[in-house]
Amino acid sequence: MLASAGFGAVMLVAAVLVIVDAVRLPETAEAVGPAAVPLPVGVLLGVVGAALLVQARTQFATAGASEAQPRAGLRVLGMVVALVAFALLLPLLGYVVTSAALFAASATLLGAPSLLRSVAYGWALAAIVFLVFDRLIGLSLPSGPWGF
Amino acid sequence: MEHARRRARQWLPAAVAVLATVAIVVTAPDESHAGSTARDVLDDQQLRIMAPASPGGGWDQTSREMQAGLRELIGRTEVYNVSGAGGTIGLSQFVRFDGDPTQLMATGLIMVGAVVANNAEHSLNDTTPLARLTTDYQVIVVPADSELTDMAGLSEAMRTDLPAVSIAGGSAGGAEHILAGLMAKAVGADPARVSYVAHSGGGEMLSTLLSGRSTIAISGLSEILPQIEAGSVRALAVSSPDRLDALPDVPTLRETGMDVELQNWRGVVAPAGISDEQERVLEELILDMTETESWRNALEARGWGDATLAGEEFEDFVRSEQDRVAQVLAEIGLG
Amino acid sequence: MDSFGLLLDGFAAAVTPEHLLWALIGVTIGTAVGVLPGVGPALTVALLLPITFRLTPESALIMFAGIYYGGMYGGSTTAILLNTPGESAAMITTLEGNKMARAGRAAAALATAALGSFVAATIGTVALTFVAPLVADFATSFGPPEYVALMAVAFVTVSALLGRSLLKGVASLLVGVTIGLIGIDSQTGQPRLTFGVDALLDGIDVVIVVIALFALSEAFGHLVTGTGGTTVQPLRERAVMSRSDLRRSWPAWLRGTAFGFPIGALPAGGAEVPTFLSYATEKKLSKHPEEFGHGAIEGVAGPEAANNAAAAGVLVPLLTIGLPTSATAAVILTAFQSYGLQPGPQLFSESGPLVWTLIASLYIGNIMLLVLNLPLAKVWARLLTIPAYGIYAGVLVFATLGTFAAGGTTVDLLVLVGLGLLGLLMRQGGIPVAPAVVGLILGPIAEQQLRRALTLSEGDPSILFSGAITIVLWVVVGIALVASIVLPVLRRRRDRETARTLAD
Repeated sequence: MLASAGFGAVMLVAAVLVIVDAVRLPETAEAVGPAAVPLPVGVLLGVVGAALLVQARTQFATAGASEAQPRAGLRVLGMVVALVAFALLLPLLGYVVTSAALFAASATLLGAPSLLRSVAYGWALAAIVFLVFDRLIGLSLPSGPWGF
Repeated sequence: MEHARRRARQWLPAAVAVLATVAIVVTAPDESHAGSTARDVLDDQQLRIMAPASPGGGWDQTSREMQAGLRELIGRTEVYNVSGAGGTIGLSQFVRFDGDPTQLMATGLIMVGAVVANNAEHSLNDTTPLARLTTDYQVIVVPADSELTDMAGLSEAMRTDLPAVSIAGGSAGGAEHILAGLMAKAVGADPARVSYVAHSGGGEMLSTLLSGRSTIAISGLSEILPQIEAGSVRALAVSSPDRLDALPDVPTLRETGMDVELQNWRGVVAPAGISDEQERVLEELILDMTETESWRNALEARGWGDATLAGEEFEDFVRSEQDRVAQVLAEIGLG
Repeated sequence: MDSFGLLLDGFAAAVTPEHLLWALIGVTIGTAVGVLPGVGPALTVALLLPITFRLTPESALIMFAGIYYGGMYGGSTTAILLNTPGESAAMITTLEGNKMARAGRAAAALATAALGSFVAATIGTVALTFVAPLVADFATSFGPPEYVALMAVAFVTVSALLGRSLLKGVASLLVGVTIGLIGIDSQTGQPRLTFGVDALLDGIDVVIVVIALFALSEAFGHLVTGTGGTTVQPLRERAVMSRSDLRRSWPAWLRGTAFGFPIGALPAGGAEVPTFLSYATEKKLSKHPEEFGHGAIEGVAGPEAANNAAAAGVLVPLLTIGLPTSATAAVILTAFQSYGLQPGPQLFSESGPLVWTLIASLYIGNIMLLVLNLPLAKVWARLLTIPAYGIYAGVLVFATLGTFAAGGTTVDLLVLVGLGLLGLLMRQGGIPVAPAVVGLILGPIAEQQLRRALTLSEGDPSILFSGAITIVLWVVVGIALVASIVLPVLRRRRDRETARTLAD
């Protein structure tokens, strides 16, 4: 229920952003301007978001708190950090190294027993992908100082 | 036995990883084809060409035909796509290659327009223009059963009630939109009131035109020529200074009394901050490329006009286009 | 000579060992790139173009045809096995296909997808051969008002996808529509919801949203529940498809084809819209509506047939009027031009033999794909014996590759992560993700076509109801609305009466 309420809250924030953004759009010569669709969409976002919050509240009151999983949040956070690191390091270290690292990190977070084997699998997968797409088909993937 | 198999399974991924890595190293592209001066400038690195649009579009085609022509001169080059927003997304990435002579980017009128329309942070002033390569003129067409038969009728219609003349064309702020604005201005109407229906590609534009819902359409010559030849649309005028070989019976806009001329040119730029020597060598390389058989065949096959122009003259041309486009787009209400 | 004789000549030219080899290479590459989200046939053909200059035009076009059809086959495999559509047109396939896979029926789902694809692509190719000019006429009679009505039909059918809670389904749909607003407004060139970030000017690629909401959120979900070590039982039955599977599949294949081919031939139709329509229809007509959402085979058969028929449909305007209607078609057009061929009204008269060879090779590629894919269904299904941590780590590698290929910037990867977290929130809150993708695909088309129509009419809304096609489509909207309101009421009343009779 908490997630549903959270989604409702996200929609309320989105509603404000959409409406503020639409209002700032200039008038144009077209019969129907660029703000004509975003405005009703923004209003609907607000209404449905609020409804989700209300619904979650009433169900929350009857159902009580759901079981908490403290480690789960940490694991998700770890994955987000791994993905962001991947995005930032990809242009510097090249495709094979960063993808192998991403594979190993995510497999370990998901509960893979052996880190070393994850690295081996990840490197094999990334190297094959690089071979097929960069070398064979010609889709240029980012490469590090060592050429892959 | 079971033990041996398990051990084999344990080592398999590592073995595959090593094998694949060796294969990558062995297949690393060979750079020894480059001609001597070009090789000095490129420092034995591969030339990379950015097509600032998605595969299949005009800049993508230009880049890939360049790649084919350059193959005869310096061997393997690489083309990659960074699509979006009239090329301004590609431009914003390209300016980061400051001083790197191994990077090129396709560009053209549409990027000049998009920079203005999107209020982009960077413009072609942040690059080193090398050469103009091709041009595609615009054709004003009507459906085969349209009541409009000539430009005189169209000019009259635009003068009396501009919003009633709906004009189908490519993206907002693109070459067709600019021409529509210039035409409105030429008949003495307010370009901001042009009833322009934007489309994301030639195909979508054609479908709006053929469905008979728009009054006229503006299109690049190479896209619309087959339809004109098949008789499904009629050409009223072309935007070139002289009549085109492909459409000898269709008058230019100037001939019909509209003082307008527009070419959808495409060219190539290098990053800012390269040395004069590097600029000279790259320009020569591009000019040599335009002489290759593969490039000549491409011009023929794709119906592009040869518009080779390099050096100082091209830079002057870019500046005058920037001024003209900025003015028209401001009048249309974009920018 | 008539079409049939010309086609036979085409077959004679296509069935040389050399051409068959190129067709095989084409379908293999096509299946491989189809499996990967973000790397599709369009990009692949564009990348291979410069390499193919040394081939004869026949060999190159035959290979491209193989890549094109192969890409459509490949997309369904990951959708069924990994809940990760290889391309947006396979999104609907995940709804029932992945449920089937988890119930131990992966092989049956893959088989009905492969057979349905084959049936649809074959019928589509036959239609392309014999009625292309007729379909082209129909396609070019679609202007903005017709598209507005067609999008209304598609939106009405979305209710079939919304899931158990109307409120949550609509919430998801709205979020999709909102994501679709991001980027430059194509009618006026104004940036919307970009907040000054250049990389957002072109909007967020559908592929990225699909990868994030389906694949990434699934991986996050396993993190939260700590179920990374689990595997599913991939196969429950001995046979790939049972007789009842076949009986339930074939009408769905045919109906899917009937949606896919004509809509695929429309210049702004696309391959996604017919899959929505097909899914909604199958759900309405099925004798087992209770199975929908838990792995109904019709829900895989129909949409898979629809997207492959659409792929054949796309070739109609391309070949007959030189109108590329999708990214892949635009690239194939480029390929034609680099061999000096100009698709369009004169193509058949000027380069007839080559075109017929191409069409013949479409049939051959199709048969090759079936022969390759059907026996592989059981092999692919065994992929599911890999523990979840291995599968999702692999999916992440492919997802990031696909995102990179689609956008090519760091911002795209960050957007992917953000949307993945949104997907996790939706998953935890019981909000279905499919409506978001539907909203993202339909929203922009509906908005742009509506505004085009009103610009054409200078703001007069009566243009939306002008013309025979629009009126027919609006009637369909009306019928669908009435059916979705009245039918449940009638059914409930009938159930009550049956209950009463039984009680008596």
